[in-house]
Amino acid sequence: MEKIIVGRLLRSNTRACVVGCPPAQQFPAFGSLVSIPLSETEVVYGLIGDIHIDDDGLVRQLATAPSVDEAVIQDNRLNRNVPVEMTVLFVGSKTENRISHLLPARPPLSLDCMYLCSTQELCEFTAGSRFGYLRHILDAQDVPAADLLAAHLAQAGAAQRAQGNSAWFGQAAARIITQLRDDYPRLMPILETLADVENA
Amino acid sequence: MTEKSSIRKLIGSVTGGGLKENLQVRLSVPPQQVQEGSFIVIDSQEWFFYGIATDLQLQAVDPRYALEPSRQRLPENLAGLLDQQTLYTNLVVLPALMLEQEPADPEAQMAWHKAIEAGDKEKPNPLPVKSIPVHHADAFLASAGDVAEIFGKPEEEGNFVIGFTREQDHPVCVNLDKLIQRSSGIFGATGSGKSFLTRMLLAGLIDRNRASVLVYDMHNEYGLDDTASDTGQNVRGLRSGFGAARVQVVGVGAGAAIRGSVPDFNLVLGYRDLLPEDIELLTLELNLKETTPTVLDALKQSFGSDHWFKAFKEMRRGAVIENEDGKKVPAPDSVAYWANQCGVNQMAAEGLHDKLRRLFNRPYILENPPADSIQAVMDALKKGKHIVLSFGDFESDLDYLLISNLLTRRIREEWEKITNEFRSGKGQEPRPLVIVVEEAHKLLNRDMASQTTFSTIAREMRKYYVTLLVIDQRPSQIYDEVMSQLGTRVCGWLGDEDDIHAALSGLAGRDALRGMLSRLQPKEEVLLLGWGVPMPILVRSRRYDEQFWKDVKSNRKVGLDQEQVIKKLYPD
Repeated sequence: MEKIIVGRLLRSNTRACVVGCPPAQQFPAFGSLVSIPLSETEVVYGLIGDIHIDDDGLVRQLATAPSVDEAVIQDNRLNRNVPVEMTVLFVGSKTENRISHLLPARPPLSLDCMYLCSTQELCEFTAGSRFGYLRHILDAQDVPAADLLAAHLAQAGAAQRAQGNSAWFGQAAARIITQLRDDYPRLMPILETLADVENA
Repeated sequence: MTEKSSIRKLIGSVTGGGLKENLQVRLSVPPQQVQEGSFIVIDSQEWFFYGIATDLQLQAVDPRYALEPSRQRLPENLAGLLDQQTLYTNLVVLPALMLEQEPADPEAQMAWHKAIEAGDKEKPNPLPVKSIPVHHADAFLASAGDVAEIFGKPEEEGNFVIGFTREQDHPVCVNLDKLIQRSSGIFGATGSGKSFLTRMLLAGLIDRNRASVLVYDMHNEYGLDDTASDTGQNVRGLRSGFGAARVQVVGVGAGAAIRGSVPDFNLVLGYRDLLPEDIELLTLELNLKETTPTVLDALKQSFGSDHWFKAFKEMRRGAVIENEDGKKVPAPDSVAYWANQCGVNQMAAEGLHDKLRRLFNRPYILENPPADSIQAVMDALKKGKHIVLSFGDFESDLDYLLISNLLTRRIREEWEKITNEFRSGKGQEPRPLVIVVEEAHKLLNRDMASQTTFSTIAREMRKYYVTLLVIDQRPSQIYDEVMSQLGTRVCGWLGDEDDIHAALSGLAGRDALRGMLSRLQPKEEVLLLGWGVPMPILVRSRRYDEQFWKDVKSNRKVGLDQEQVIKKLYPD
C-alpha cells in the first residue's frame, strides 16, 4: 500500500522537528507514531507531541467580524497559506531493518516527507520488552509528557492487543515506574494520567 | 547459579550490610514466605554463605509510597505494578558460616576433585564467616542438602534429629559427640517444653550409647511413664522406653516408691557419707551463719570425717546436770559441753545443731545403710548403664541440694581417680558421663557456684570425662562463669530480658538473636546455639510421642564400642 505523506519538515534538531501540514488534509492525532525517511535504508521515528495552528492576518480580521459566512470559514481553513504545524519528538530510528531506540544520528532535512506509521509499524517499533524510547518522552521539556505518554500508550496498547499481546500496556507502565520510581512527584501524576487510559 | 542453587527456593538478593551490622537481603517473595530464624543460603560466586534470618523490615523506595495505599489513587493493576517496584521487604541475615563451592565449569570441577583426592587441597569445610557475599548475590531458603551439609546427615553415626526447620521441615541434627564434650544447657520458661526436649535428648544419648547419663530427677518426670499436664496423654519415661537393662530408676530412701512403682534400687546415705563440706553447701537453704565452718571444722577434728555427723546428732541440745555445787552445768552429752571442751562458741554450736535437725531427721540418712548405694550408682554408670535418680517424696530443695551435691562430689572424686589411673597407664579409659541437673540455678547461682562440685564440673571436668546438662527456667540466676562454659545451649521461649541476656551470653550476634528468643512459639520451637552447633538455628522441635519412640527403635543403630566412642570424643 502506498504511504500517504502527512506533511513536510519545516525545521529540526537532533531531538525533535516541526512538520508543516496542509490544513485541508486530515492530520495525525496527538501521540501518533510517524516516520521520516532519511534515505532508502534509514528512517527516523517520532511521536506527535504538539499540534499548533497559527493565525494569519485574514483570520484576525475575520475573528473580529460580527458574523462570518460558513463558506468563508471553510475557504479559510482549506486554502490558507499557513500550515498546521506539528512538533515531532524523535524516539528512534530504523537502519537496514534494524530498529533502534536511540536518537537518530542526524536530523532530517527541511521538506523531508513525514508519514503516519501503520499499525504494523507501530507494533514493530514498540515490540519486545525493550521500552528504551520511553525515556525520550519522559525527558522531553516542551511537551506535556504525561498526556503524550497516555496518548501513545493508548494507541500502541490497542495495536498490540489487536495482535494478541495484551500484556504490553502493563509492561510499558512497569517500565515507566522503573524509570521514575525515585521521583514521586513526577511519577504519580503520570500514573494518574495512565489510569485515565485504563479506565477509558 | 550453581546446580545446587537450582533446587533451593530463591527469595531475594543481597543489597548491603556487613559482618558487623548483618546482611541486607531484598526479598523477591512476599514477606510471609520467610520467617525470623529461617536458615538462609547466599550463593556468592565461589562461596556459599550460611546465615539465619534475624529481622524483616518493610521498606519503600520513597516513604511517600508507603504512607498512602496506591489503590486509593490508581486502578488495581497499576497500583499492583507500582507497589511491586516501590514497596519491598528487607531481610536481615546474621551471617555465620562460609563454604567454598566446587567450580561450575566441569573441567575445573574435575581438577578440583582430583586435587582433593590427591591431598593437594583440603576438602572444604564450613568456616566461621570472615568475609561477605558480593552485591546482588542470590539468597535462598536452605534446602535439605544445605541443612545436612552444615548440621550433619540424620543417618550419620552420632547425629540426632532434634527438630526441623521452620518453613520447609528439613531435619536438623545435633552431634551428640560434640554435645557431651562440653557442658550444655536447656533453657526455657515454664511450659515451654523443656522436659519433653530433655527427655528427647536423653533418649538420643542413651539410644546412641554416647555416654552414661545420670539424671537428678527432682520431679520424678524422666524415669517412669508420666501424664502430660496439658494434654493428659501418657508420656513414656526413659526406663519404659529402653528397659531396666539400660536405664535404672533409683529412688531416694529405703522403701521409696516412685508414682507407686518400685524403683530398681534405693539410694540411702550413711552417716559417714556426709562430710562437713556437704553441710556448708547448704548454707543458704539452712540459713547457716558464718560461724558454721568453724564449728564443722571443730566437729571434724573432734570426731573425724566418718563420725562427726553421728556424734553431733547424738548430742543433746540444752541438756544440763547439777554439779557438786548444785549449779546447773552442761551435761557431758550436750552440745554446749562439747563446745566448751573444744573452745567453740557455745551458741554457734547450738545454733548449728538446731539447724541440722532438719537433716538429722531425714529418713534416707541411716547410720548403717544395708549397702553402699552411692557406690552402686557409680558402678552402674561406669558399666555404661544410665541412672534416673528420682527424689520421690523428697522433693524439697534441701533434699535435692544435699543428695545431688553429695553424689556429684563422690562421682567427681571417682572419675578424677580413674582418669588419673588411666593417664598413668594403670587403668581403663573412663566412660564419659553426663550429669543432668534440673533447677540448676539452685546449685549454680552466684552465691553457691563457687562452692559446689557442679561449677567445678562445668569448668574443668571435661578433662575427666564428666559434663553437665543443666536445665533451668531462669538462666539469669546461674553464675556467669558457669554459663560461659556451656557449649551447647538449647533455648525454648524466654520472656524475661535478663534470662534472654543470660542465655545468649558470650555468643556472637546475640543482639540479633535476642528478639528471636522472645518470639519463639512455646512448646514448638527452640533455638540451638553455642559451640556445639555450627551456627545458631531455630527449629521446630521434634515431638516426643509414641512416633518418636517408634523412630528411635526402628532407626536404632549398632552403637560403636566404648573404645571407639572415647577415641572419637577425646582424640588427645
